[in-house]
Amino acid sequence: MTPDARPERDAAHRLPLEGIRVADITVVWAGPHVTQLLGEWGADIVRVEPVTTIQPYSRGAERISTEAQYRYMGSTGVTMGIPPDFKPGEDPWNRSPSFNAHARNKRSMACDIRLPEGREAFFRLIEQCDVLVENNVPETIERAKITYDVLREVNPQLIMLRMPAYGLSGPYKNYRGFGTHVEGMIGHHLIRTYDDGTPEETGDAYTADAIAGVMGAWAVTAALRHRARTGRGQQIEMPLAEAFLPVIGEYILDYTMNRRRTEQQGNRHPSHAPHGIYPTAGDDQWIAIDVASDEEFGALCGVLGASALATDERFRTAGGRVEHRKALDAAVGEVTRGYDKEKLFHALQAVGVVAGPVHNDVEATRSPQLEARGFFEELTMEGVGTHRYPGIFTKWANTPNWVRTPPAKLGEHNEEIYIDLLGYSRQEYDDLCARGLVGTTYAPEVLRGRD
Amino acid sequence: MTQMLEGIRVLEFATNVAGPFAGKLLADYGAEVLKIEPPTGDPSRNAGPFPDDIPHSEKSGLFLHLNTNKQSMTLNLDTEEGRAIARRLIGHADVVIDDFRPGLLDDYEMHYEAMSAGHPDLIMASITPFGQSGPWRDYAGSEITLQAMGGPLHGNGAPYREPAKLGGYTAHYHAGLATSLAILLARFRVEAGGAGDWIDQSVYEAQAGFRDRRTISLTAAAYSGLSSTRQPPGGRAAMGVRPAIDGYVNIFAGGTKHFDGFLDEIGRPDLKEHPDFGKQVHEYSAEYQQEIEGSYLAWLFETPKLEAVARTQRHGILGGAIMSTEDLVNDPHYRGRGVWETIDHPVAGPLEYPGRQLVLSDSPKAPARPAPLLGAQTVDVLTQLGYDRAALPRLRAQGVI
Repeated sequence: MTPDARPERDAAHRLPLEGIRVADITVVWAGPHVTQLLGEWGADIVRVEPVTTIQPYSRGAERISTEAQYRYMGSTGVTMGIPPDFKPGEDPWNRSPSFNAHARNKRSMACDIRLPEGREAFFRLIEQCDVLVENNVPETIERAKITYDVLREVNPQLIMLRMPAYGLSGPYKNYRGFGTHVEGMIGHHLIRTYDDGTPEETGDAYTADAIAGVMGAWAVTAALRHRARTGRGQQIEMPLAEAFLPVIGEYILDYTMNRRRTEQQGNRHPSHAPHGIYPTAGDDQWIAIDVASDEEFGALCGVLGASALATDERFRTAGGRVEHRKALDAAVGEVTRGYDKEKLFHALQAVGVVAGPVHNDVEATRSPQLEARGFFEELTMEGVGTHRYPGIFTKWANTPNWVRTPPAKLGEHNEEIYIDLLGYSRQEYDDLCARGLVGTTYAPEVLRGRD
Repeated sequence: MTQMLEGIRVLEFATNVAGPFAGKLLADYGAEVLKIEPPTGDPSRNAGPFPDDIPHSEKSGLFLHLNTNKQSMTLNLDTEEGRAIARRLIGHADVVIDDFRPGLLDDYEMHYEAMSAGHPDLIMASITPFGQSGPWRDYAGSEITLQAMGGPLHGNGAPYREPAKLGGYTAHYHAGLATSLAILLARFRVEAGGAGDWIDQSVYEAQAGFRDRRTISLTAAAYSGLSSTRQPPGGRAAMGVRPAIDGYVNIFAGGTKHFDGFLDEIGRPDLKEHPDFGKQVHEYSAEYQQEIEGSYLAWLFETPKLEAVARTQRHGILGGAIMSTEDLVNDPHYRGRGVWETIDHPVAGPLEYPGRQLVLSDSPKAPARPAPLLGAQTVDVLTQLGYDRAALPRLRAQGVI
C-alpha cells in the first residue's frame, strides 16, 4: 500500500495483535514465517539472534559468495540466495532474499542465549513478552535450558510455541530436516511425484514450512484467546510433520479405509481431463487447464479450433477422457503449443474454461491482478536499497494493512531493546557491545571460520 | 478442560476444501460450527475416497475428514425463505465463512455491510479464487490453475518436461488455513472490545504469499531480475532424492559441514583428502562428484531408506525418507505419538483420521465427533428459530431445506 493510501485506523479497527509482544528465536523458514504473520497483524516481534555465531540457513551468512558466483547461481536458476544486484556488499547477512522475505515488522536484537550475559538479557525479554516462538531441534532448547518449565518461572503467563520437525518425543525427536524432508517423511513428496516418473525428478519443495508457518500463527492466536479468557498461558508443541497431516487427510483415510497407498499424482486428477500443464508458444512457457464437464471440453476445443478433438469418440464423455488421458494430453499439448499463454488464458476464461498461465517469479511480480490488489509493497532498507516485496496475503475490508517496517538488519534495534525495553544502563549496554556480545555484524573470527 | 475456541459460534456456507478446512480447524479446537449445506449436500460428499470404492454421500473420505466436529443443516439459498433463514442465522453467529463467487453475497442480500449493521462484532470471511476486486475477480480457478499462477509450481519438477503441481489440494488447504487464522485474529480483536470485519481471502494471493519458496523467489526476482527454475535430478552431489533398496531418501550431505561424517558413514573417508572437499556442492569437479555419487548409490543399494536416514542423522545431516501413506500410517514414531484418532461415524463406521496437530499443555484437544450426516441438525435449528414442526413438511416440499 502506498503511503498516501494509508488511512487512519480507528480504535475499533486497530490491528488485532497490537500490544502483544513476541520473542522470536526461530531459524530457517517455518518459525520465521509464524512471527512474520504475527507481526503483520500488529505484534511487536523481537528477533533474538547471535552475532557470536552464525545461525545456518537463516541470514545466509554461512554461504557468502562473490558476485561472479551469484551470477553463476542465477544463470542456473537457483535464485533464493542472490543478494540485490548480485552484490554481497559489506553486510551480506542483511541482503538475503530468503531472510528479507519474512523479516518485515520485526526488530532484531543481538543476543547469544547460550552465554550467561545473553541468557540474562533473554530472560529479561521473556518477562516482557506474551509469546515465545522457536523451531530448533529439541535438544538445542534442552541444552540451552530454556524449556517451558524454566521459562514459566520467569513469566507464568507465557505462551511458548515449539515447532520441531517431528515432535518433542518419539524416535525422530531430534531428526534434523527442512520442510522438504518433512514432506518426504509424511508422504506428500511421493504424492506430488509425476505419475510416470520417480521422486528424483520432482526436486525439493518446502510446502511443510508454508503450512507450519500459518498453522503456528493460528495456534498462537488461539492460545492468546484462551489466555485472555482463563489467564493461563501454555506450551504448544506443533511438529511440522503433524501440522501437515491434515493437508493429506483424504489420502490417509484412503489408506485407513481401503489399505490403499496413494499413487503418484503428478498433474492427474481422478475425474477431470484434460487436467494438466500444457506447453504454449515460447521457451518453458505453459498453461494449466482443468476441464470437468462436457460443456467445458466443447468450449476448450472451440477456442483451440480443435474440431478433431471435439469429435473424437474416445473423448466424448468425461469417463472416456479420463480413460484416454495420455492420448488426450498429447493431443491438447500439440494444439496449445501454438498459442500465447496469456491470450489463451483470457480466451478460455471468457468461455468458462478453468485455465491459468504458469507464472514464473518475474511474471508473478507483474500480475495485473496482484497489482490491482496492491499485493506488492515497496520497502527501503538503508544500504540495501528500495525493492518491491510480497505483501500481506489476506485483505480485511475495514482494516487496511501494510508492511510497517522494512526487513530488520542484524542487531538493528539493539539499543532501543536493551536500553528502552529491557532497562540496561548505557554503560552496561556499551560494555556488552565492547565485548562483542552485542553488535550489528558477526565477529571477525566467526566470519573467518565460515569456510 | 476448556478448549481454546469454546463459545465461538460459526456458520459455514462453504464447500469442498478451503472453507471447510477453515471451519474444521475452529471446530476441532472447540468452536460450535454449523455447516449450511445445499439440499444436495457439499459436493465433497461425492468426492471420495469411499470404502471399497462404492460411492456413498455419507462415506466420502474427503468430506469425513474436513467436517469433523461440525453440525449440518440443509438450506436452499436459491429460495427466498432459505435466504431469510440464513440471514436470521447470521444474526446469531459470531463468524460466517463462505466461498460464494464475488457478488453472490449481494444477490443473497447477505453482504457484510447489511449483516453487520446492528451486529458490529460479526466476522465474515469470504474465500474466492482471485478475491473480491481486481480485473480477474470473476475468473474461475481450481487447484492446478491457482498453483500455476500464484504459487511455486513453475519451479516444481524436472527441467526437461512440464512443471508438476504439488500433491492434493495444497493451495486450497493453505488458503483455508490462512482464512482460519484471519478469523481468529479478528475474533481476538472483537473479544478485546474491537469490531468485526469482512475478510477477503483470495486463494491466488495466499499462493503468492506462500512460504514454499514463493515469497522468497519473488523477493529474489526483485533483487536480481531472475526467476528460479526447475533443477535437474541428481545435479548436486550427495544431496537430493536418491534410490535406496526399498524406496527413496532425500538427504542433504554434499557440501555441508557434516559432510565428513557422511563420507565416514558410506565408507569413503579417503574422499576427505580430495582438494574439492570443503567446497560448496556446486563447485565440486565432475570427477569428485562421480566418486561421491558412485559410493553413495552403492551404499544406498544395500541400505533401507529409514536406516539410511537414521545413520546419516547421527552425524547431524538433514534428511528424510520418501514415505508412502502406508509407511506413514504404520510408522512407530507417529503411532507412538498418538497422531491418529479413531472416530466412529454412524454410517462410515470407525476409521483412523489425522487427529490433533497441536499438543497443548493447558487446553488439550477433546476427542473428535464425526462429520455430520447431511442435514442432521436441520430440524433442531429450525425449531430453535421458532419454526413449528408442522412447517417442516412444507419447507421440504418447497425445496427450502
